[in-house]
Amino acid sequence: MEKPANHEVLWELKNVTKVFAAVRALDDVSIQFRNGEIHALLGENGSGKSTMIKCIAGVHQPEAGEILYRGERAEITSPIVARKLGVATIFQEFSLVPTLSVCENIFLGRLPRRGKGGNGAVDWEKMRSDASKILAKLGIEINPMAIVGTLSVAQQQLVEITKAISIDASLFIMDEPTAALGQSEIVQLHALTRRLRDEGCAIIYISHRLDEVVELVDRVTVLKDGKIVGGCTGENINTAEIVRLMVGADITEHYPKENNTRDEIIYRAEGLTTAQGAHGASLDIRCGEVYGFAGLIGAGRTEIARAIFGADTLQSGTAQMRSKQIRVRKPHDAIDNGIAYLSENRKSDGLFMNFFSGPNITIVKLKKIMQRHFLNLKTERSVGEEYIRKLRISSAALDKSVQFLSGGNQQKVVIARWLHSDAELFILDEPTQGIDIKAKVEVYNLINDLTRAGKSVLLISSDLEELLAMSDRLAVVKGGKILSVLNAAEINKNQLMEIILGNHIIDEVG
Amino acid sequence: MKKRNRSSEILGPFMAFAVIFLLATVTTPQFCTLANLRNQILQICVTAFLAIGATLVILTGGIDISCGAAVAMLTMSFAGFCKFWGMSVWMSMALTLVCALLMGLLNGVLVATVRIPPFIATLATQGIFRGIAYMINGGSALNRLADVAEDVFYAKVFGFIPITLIYILIAYAAVYIFLKYSQTGRKIYAVGGNAAAAKLSGINVNNVLLVTYVLAGLFTGIAAILMACRLNSGSQTYGSGMEMSAIAAAVIGGASMSGGKGNIVSTFIGAATVLIVQNVLNLNSIPTSFQYIANGVMILIAVSLDIWRPQMAALFKKRGTKPGVDLEA
Repeated sequence: MEKPANHEVLWELKNVTKVFAAVRALDDVSIQFRNGEIHALLGENGSGKSTMIKCIAGVHQPEAGEILYRGERAEITSPIVARKLGVATIFQEFSLVPTLSVCENIFLGRLPRRGKGGNGAVDWEKMRSDASKILAKLGIEINPMAIVGTLSVAQQQLVEITKAISIDASLFIMDEPTAALGQSEIVQLHALTRRLRDEGCAIIYISHRLDEVVELVDRVTVLKDGKIVGGCTGENINTAEIVRLMVGADITEHYPKENNTRDEIIYRAEGLTTAQGAHGASLDIRCGEVYGFAGLIGAGRTEIARAIFGADTLQSGTAQMRSKQIRVRKPHDAIDNGIAYLSENRKSDGLFMNFFSGPNITIVKLKKIMQRHFLNLKTERSVGEEYIRKLRISSAALDKSVQFLSGGNQQKVVIARWLHSDAELFILDEPTQGIDIKAKVEVYNLINDLTRAGKSVLLISSDLEELLAMSDRLAVVKGGKILSVLNAAEINKNQLMEIILGNHIIDEVG
Repeated sequence: MKKRNRSSEILGPFMAFAVIFLLATVTTPQFCTLANLRNQILQICVTAFLAIGATLVILTGGIDISCGAAVAMLTMSFAGFCKFWGMSVWMSMALTLVCALLMGLLNGVLVATVRIPPFIATLATQGIFRGIAYMINGGSALNRLADVAEDVFYAKVFGFIPITLIYILIAYAAVYIFLKYSQTGRKIYAVGGNAAAAKLSGINVNNVLLVTYVLAGLFTGIAAILMACRLNSGSQTYGSGMEMSAIAAAVIGGASMSGGKGNIVSTFIGAATVLIVQNVLNLNSIPTSFQYIANGVMILIAVSLDIWRPQMAALFKKRGTKPGVDLEA
């Protein structure tokens, strides 16, 4: 944890205000970002974190106040100006070209060229070797000639980060860089981030995952409704303190776990195999149980879930629901047998952005709102109202396209869809990804509601703390099958991480 | 899809229609006369039916550019059934509709099962349909099919309501109810909105696409029969360029080319708008070439409006917000 001596203020915001319509996204905010420091910005969705970094990155211009760079006033009129001042931004959304190779993406817009003035043809050899050097320096094992579109999401994220780092920068802004990463990549990214810090760079880090914040950062600032409500540094950074700052005294227990497991087995599968990556997975889930899937990205957790749900075609394997043999060839069959699947990425394959909340909820079981051969839109509306009340979704959601809702509200709409489908087994794939802590706790409470009612949950999560806290049993997934099943109460986070990682990752990190 | 959207979805196209109607009235004295407007109700019929098909397909995120050529082939088939096989007009109509359904099914299979992008699939079938139209009767038109055919088109209910108006009302009402109150209608919106999410919601996306293209074929068939009855003939050149009018009608009516957004009432307003522009050009003796250009320009304007809608809304609401910037903090 040794920091370089130059602990000077690199960037400073002084009384900055940014207004959207009538909303003060940033309200008279003053904050400093120092060299050699990892500075976490925390807060619920809509608290102003993204607005703040977008002001520094030149995407937004504040209405009032000033931004200082090395003590001098800076007018950041565009992202290009920001980049010239040494700001490198890693946004949640990728800015990669999927059809180009890794090295082309890293050097996009500044490809090395042959010839004296640098006006000749692209110098592929130089580009490849430069890219290899950067990747090797960062300890990332990706072929620089690989086409980005063929890489996994986690690998793409690493390329995105490499691209940002390859530009000479003094300030790195990372907006949820680990959202798409598995445990081993997270460890890698953290090592990388620390190295940048030790080299004297300033880092702004945004994450909804408190465990990694506590582990990684040197300073925490908590935002709420566009204002800074508090912060802590160094040894004072701990989960309880951050939760207290973020939500006030509302939430006393971060993980409100209930044990509702019964003896009866609700779902049993033998040797589920698909072409997409399930390789003979066998499992049994009890009534009222939360059955967790632990494993690395690419271990096959989502693939097994998709096999159970019929989203990928089964090549072999059998499944039983309540001791009755079922054949699941399409999602439709799974839904008919009471299986629900909340997909990992609610934006790409969960939500219908062209629908309001009501139609988003009823779409799986339109039958339930049929009345004499026609959809009853009044019933649909009251279904929408009912779930908005039950799940405490923003009341504006009823007459609003879901694309305008916050991440937490969007996730709750998708959960409501499956509640409405009367499912008995809920496969939840990263249900708390990208949602704020308050919404997370609400999701945990929902899981408890489900298990209390005798329903079962198959939980997939890359947040090990959450997985451990909320699961009754944990299945260790690797290579598309289940290696062992553990009792979640009997192990701690470090043990679980070692089990998941094996030894190879420890060698990698050194 | 509910209250707020419905009114705003119809308001935009209606304003465009009103403006163009006003411009037409001011610039062209012959436009707003009883005789001309009455004639327009006959004129709009074929386009209005093709526009239903175009809207359904566009709602799924696809496009059908084969419907103009399909009209040519179907009028020739209809004429052939009447003249070569000596069938009654009614029997010929039934067979023509069967052909139309099969043609829709072909498009549907190519898009849903073979997974050819809709633009390419219907570009290919456009060529095929037009080619078959030329094969029938060696490339010449077939005239004077049957006297009763003209009655199908020109008859008047109670002596003064054009029957084409009744056809249009029935068809649009049926499609309105289908899209709004049937499971399949809802699923069409879902598939167009997010096909991957639709699949994970248990919707058989392929079936929905098949049904949509078959339905589009059905309405193309009705359009073709009406066209043949109106002119009491079949011809290889009928329907040429009409896919443009149909798509323009849907798009001016606010249907989003990316799928999932649009409604049938607005499509009718769109069809009426397209028709007025063509009518005004006709009344002022402006050559056909300009009518094609006008259709093309209308499609470009309408699609541009669709693409830039969020940015424009932002512009109106708050000054100084840059296009493409999300407003969520």
